[in-house]
Amino acid sequence: MRLILALAMAVGIAGCATRTQVLKVEPGEQVVGDRLAIKVDGPWNHISTTLLAPAQAWTMEGFPIDQLLIYSGVKDGEPVHPIASGTGGKSFNFRSNMQPDEIVAMFEGALTRDGSTFKLAKLEPSGFGGAKGLRFEYAIVRKIDNVQLSGVGFAAVDSGELFAMLYSAPRITFFPRHQQRVEEIAKTAKVRARPAGS
Amino acid sequence: MNRRAFLRAGCCGGLASISPHAFADDPWQVPPRFSRPDAASDEGGLWALMDRQETRLRRSPFNLDAPELRAYVQGIVCQLAREHCPDVRVYLMRVPNFNANMAPNGMMQVWSGLLLRMDNEAQLAAVLGHEIGHYMERHSLEGLRAAKSSSAIGQFMGLFGVVGLVGQFGLVAGTFSYSRDHERDADRIGAQLMHEAGYDVSEASKVWTNLSLELRANPDASAPNPLFASHPGREEREATLAELAARYKGGETRETLWQQKTAPFIRGWLADEIKRGRPEQSIALLTRVATRSSGAADYLYARGEVYRLRAGEGDLDLALTDFGKAIALGSEPPETHRALGMIYRARKRGADARASFERYLQLAPQAPDALMIRSYIEELSA
Repeated sequence: MRLILALAMAVGIAGCATRTQVLKVEPGEQVVGDRLAIKVDGPWNHISTTLLAPAQAWTMEGFPIDQLLIYSGVKDGEPVHPIASGTGGKSFNFRSNMQPDEIVAMFEGALTRDGSTFKLAKLEPSGFGGAKGLRFEYAIVRKIDNVQLSGVGFAAVDSGELFAMLYSAPRITFFPRHQQRVEEIAKTAKVRARPAGS
Repeated sequence: MNRRAFLRAGCCGGLASISPHAFADDPWQVPPRFSRPDAASDEGGLWALMDRQETRLRRSPFNLDAPELRAYVQGIVCQLAREHCPDVRVYLMRVPNFNANMAPNGMMQVWSGLLLRMDNEAQLAAVLGHEIGHYMERHSLEGLRAAKSSSAIGQFMGLFGVVGLVGQFGLVAGTFSYSRDHERDADRIGAQLMHEAGYDVSEASKVWTNLSLELRANPDASAPNPLFASHPGREEREATLAELAARYKGGETRETLWQQKTAPFIRGWLADEIKRGRPEQSIALLTRVATRSSGAADYLYARGEVYRLRAGEGDLDLALTDFGKAIALGSEPPETHRALGMIYRARKRGADARASFERYLQLAPQAPDALMIRSYIEELSA
């Protein structure tokens, strides 16, 4: 979460001088990371950055208000939101044999490195991307500004790789405003076959 | 005071170089209550800043919703601070790290991670007495005046966990501490206040020893830490605290009362500890506290869950052992059965997994993951 705020500050104060770019996501089918196809019914903003790798970060309202994180083909052992070496922070790595609760715990750890709190509200089986997966709802209290966020996540493991979408926004006004749109996007998700030779 | 600051306090404050005050014949005298400083003075500015931060702290969602526990801890503070009691306002914060601090305007924060680690009331009194010592000697004002640059002032403010001003308290506070002399004085005053309030002063050194146990369990513990490079070692600290304990004999630990008061919160604090993502430190902590006279099943479940989530070589077997012991003791948390079911499911022990999941749902039918667990049961029944 601290990364997101730092990113928001970077975007806000130095839009022309950093590697971070804001790109328009057009309505229609979008393919994230070559493997995860989704359909969006309206434009989004794609924050082009490596800070939240391997996720692709989208927003409707702008960071740090809301963020849609899309993970496409995270490989066994790959870290989620890797930290700079030598900083002493814990790394949260995906394992292909993770059970649903462990996948949620991995995201929880990655999103609360700064001391924010995470509370699981619901975890249920749900298809995602054409595979058997999970859907979860959660609440976060962001440490840096005490803002209370609501979130919804979808995930599935396909051929040992993780595909997921997480959306969070302030629980008042913003999350209800966009939740249904995100749920609809999740329903359209489809994992594509790995390109031959890769 | 955060964990590092506490350790530093120990390192700095207790060492061989015993303060001229430390074992003086004349006891230290509690100063009169402080009046609000002139708003135009540097101290007045500091108070005003802390007042604003206190307003934010009061509204923070991290505030532990525990009025009875807060009143109890406030009572401990009052025993220690005596006539200063009306000026000290305690806030219990749900943050799983070891930390307590006190601002010059009387705002005192105590984090749940510290409360979890205290074995008895006397240990908490040792930490609170130390902080009250800083307050009564107005060390923060000297610290502010010594901080010449804006960055140093920022670090200084971090000492009080100022939310929003410097943001990441845990990171910033570790880079600033009171001077060695201040820590030494706070140790001395804290021990005296403990003794005069009827506490067993020998518990003070145990706080340090226990924390040190956790830090040594950290896989990075062998790496030199620049923050401690100039500080003396653990043995000297323990020796000094032992000398203070020898001076102030007798007193109570009030362990039973402490365990009664904190019992309703232990499961929540353990859940936070499991999520902290420091499995080696958590295992060291939980191994130690599992010997407490109450709550053993909760501690065993928590340690087993840390093993399960770490999932290293042999960890799942260790987890199974802890879960089994917790269940044998009775009063285990419902999550013990869920965790058991997860391991059995992964090991293709279908009947055992199903029985564990069913027991979990029986004990916690409204659990947030109930739908997922039911799907496992259906899958195992197919």
